[in-house]
Amino acid sequence: MATLPQLIEEDIERLGGELRELLEKSDATTALIIDKGGFLITSQGDARQFDLTTIAALASGAYLANQTIANLVHETTFNSTYQQGEKFSMFVICVDENCLLVIIFKAQVSVGAVKYFAIPAVKRIAVQLQIAQERDPGAGLDLSELNLADPSEVFKRKT
Amino acid sequence: MAIINQATKELQVKVVYYGPAMGGKTTNLVQVHDHVQTAAGNKGKLVSLATSSDRTLFFDFLPIEAMSIKGFKTKFQLYTVPGQVIYNTTRQLVLRGVDGIVFVADSQYEKMAENIESFANLEDNLKTLKLNLAEIPYVLQYNKRDLPNAAPLEYMEFLLNNRDVQVPSFGSAAHKCEGVFEALNMITRMLLHKFISQGTPQYA
Repeated sequence: MATLPQLIEEDIERLGGELRELLEKSDATTALIIDKGGFLITSQGDARQFDLTTIAALASGAYLANQTIANLVHETTFNSTYQQGEKFSMFVICVDENCLLVIIFKAQVSVGAVKYFAIPAVKRIAVQLQIAQERDPGAGLDLSELNLADPSEVFKRKT
Repeated sequence: MAIINQATKELQVKVVYYGPAMGGKTTNLVQVHDHVQTAAGNKGKLVSLATSSDRTLFFDFLPIEAMSIKGFKTKFQLYTVPGQVIYNTTRQLVLRGVDGIVFVADSQYEKMAENIESFANLEDNLKTLKLNLAEIPYVLQYNKRDLPNAAPLEYMEFLLNNRDVQVPSFGSAAHKCEGVFEALNMITRMLLHKFISQGTPQYA
């Protein structure tokens, strides 16, 4: 089950450009594109003060859980969640079938502004993902540089 | 599905620990977290979304990076699912994007029905995600081998590994960290072998 199109460096750069523009316009702190399976695809902004790997895993789980709840109450247009904080807030919005956009912003920043700039950004991100999808949906994988030093024991136990 | 980022030479892989309630899934992650050798900063925090009585409510999550793989920065994301029957929707959510599975069975005789039910539930949940267990690398871990009422390994193999293609299986006592790394390393090898030979992960 493929969840993502093949993204090359050019895609990542364009996606990064969209995130940078979004951060600049909305005055948000950090923006992430994540896979709904919990993987972090790319991010922009302040990455030092947040554990982005864990945020990606939890944000995707929280979004999917909320989506399921919305379905249970017959809500058919669910596409975003907003977590209001005292220091930082977070807005998560659906990009496409497989990806989410996560925006972390200071509590004093208006969520309305974040939403206002996020919606067109999501459309542009989705377009870029679609371009990638149409470019080469079935191409293989180049792991030729992957070198497993000891295939019998990838993870070693402390002695 | 695993993600390859060619721009940063990064490979991300999702492994889910599945099995009946109280079988030792969370204990596996705790032991990996406590005992794995990693370079500084390469082991993430173990995140547990659990009830006040330490029963997994949503999932446990542990990101770790493999030191021995060169050329690609290879990150493994280990998840558990809640074992209790009522949390099936949550299990489906956690399975999304899964690359490999460690099925943690409880070796106690009285838990056999739950083991079988959980395994069938795994197959059902994969089907809802349009996945087929036969196409996903998985290993079996027969946990709690140190308990006096543990069923023989042959019996557990007959119940859980009696298929056209038998998968690797391990006896374990997860709370002593016995059999934990064996299962993790085997599923890791199977995944890397699959990726390298088939080239199925997605670029990012």
